[in-house]
Amino acid sequence: MTSTMTLLESIPEKLGTTEPWVEKGGVHWLTPGAKSVRQLAAAMNELHARFITITAYQLPKDEGLRLEYHWDLDGQLLGFPFQLTGNSIESIFDLCEAADWIEREIHEEYSLDFQGREYEPLLLRQGETSGVNLREEKK
Amino acid sequence: MSYKIPMGPYHPGLEEPYKLDMICEGETVQDAKLHIGFNFRGIEHLAETRNYIQVIALMERVCGICSNIHTLTLCSAMERLTGLTPPPRAQYIRVIMAELERLHSHVLWAGIAAKLMGFKTMFMTCFEIREKVMDVLASISGNRVNYAMNRIGGVNRDIPDPQAILKMVEALELEMAHTVIPIFTTSSTARSRCAGVGVLTTEKAISLGVVGPVARASGVPQDLRRAAPYAAYAEMEFDVPVQPDGDVRARLLVRALEIMESCKILRQALAKLPPGEIHTEGEKFAFTTGTGTARVEAPRGEVLYSVSWKEGSRNPARVHVRTPTFAVMPAIRWMVQGARLADTPLIQASIDPCYSCTDR
Repeated sequence: MTSTMTLLESIPEKLGTTEPWVEKGGVHWLTPGAKSVRQLAAAMNELHARFITITAYQLPKDEGLRLEYHWDLDGQLLGFPFQLTGNSIESIFDLCEAADWIEREIHEEYSLDFQGREYEPLLLRQGETSGVNLREEKK
Repeated sequence: MSYKIPMGPYHPGLEEPYKLDMICEGETVQDAKLHIGFNFRGIEHLAETRNYIQVIALMERVCGICSNIHTLTLCSAMERLTGLTPPPRAQYIRVIMAELERLHSHVLWAGIAAKLMGFKTMFMTCFEIREKVMDVLASISGNRVNYAMNRIGGVNRDIPDPQAILKMVEALELEMAHTVIPIFTTSSTARSRCAGVGVLTTEKAISLGVVGPVARASGVPQDLRRAAPYAAYAEMEFDVPVQPDGDVRARLLVRALEIMESCKILRQALAKLPPGEIHTEGEKFAFTTGTGTARVEAPRGEVLYSVSWKEGSRNPARVHVRTPTFAVMPAIRWMVQGARLADTPLIQASIDPCYSCTDR
């Protein structure tokens, strides 16, 4: 059986990055390089990692949003940060159906578009405006 | 001809205020859509307006049943940002509180499941037993819910007489082993209402990323107490009950067996409770800039807290909570497909949904 450490070591190559894993604040962090979030999700599926959640952060001023994707690999908590300059990112819902609700929640809370999927209201009711719960109102 | 039956958000067949739109052919459910958000409180946003003491009291109110788990996870995440390590006695007390909370949550669920099966007497029995668990929790913390036990760097209250608590736990264990568990595991009524009903296959459970007893009842042996031990769980011996069938009966069995495992852990923790401080005494601390993340196995499964802080700030910059029901609830759609309409309240209850956790 392949050990968790060997699996962890194989991930940077799959994602085309030479960045090392950094263990900080209870998470093994890896900056995924130029590859997209969909390639990350595919790589995690290949390793049978369990999707946990996405955490969205609104950055100060006009710096945009940061998304942190979390998976569990044999009890190790993995984190992959993505800095967004625009207001959209590719959806991983079709590759990882566990991401459905959290993508919908972030869409509603931060008005962020997950490209390639359709939404039904989750926390908000029909007709209500997205982006009102956490994100500061756009002027 | 198919027709739509809306159930909820306020419905006698549901314990919690969410809505399920079911498409039925005759008495058989073909598909369903879930709607949440009826109890959204914006707690994550509110957390950004609270300081490092107030935020603990706030997050304790995310959930009325597993309130202790929320402060345990939050404090563990904040401890990662402050560099504080709770002393061994505090780690044991955290285990004791977490297992007592699991006991009262599972027994409460057993009572509700009994009521939905038509076992009204068992409902009363379960709630009577649950009261005894609540008595133990109250004797330790002074409260029946919202125990205020956790703080950054330890716990707020000691357990001065573990032997007295041990006696209460032994009495509880005996009562569960002699009444609740035999009825749930051997009764033909329980079997006929639960076996083969609301099946979630192992493949679907993995694909949906479900957690806790629902995952374990679908053959996924996943438990953070074993996979990524926190507090003093690394020093406890216990089994992780797993059932392969994925139906309501499997969820019933997993929780019944977990009640016994919780008693086993409680006996060990109370017997081995180390002497010493219950929190880091007089140690000043400061938050470093960054994100601290912690995970804990709540009664319903994995809870994750990501807490982001800026050095010098009294308030967190961001608190994100991923609760177990948020991960498990989407599975209801797959569980009710092909089920009889009359079974859907029991199927929904079988995930032990916590709605206040889900909406936050």
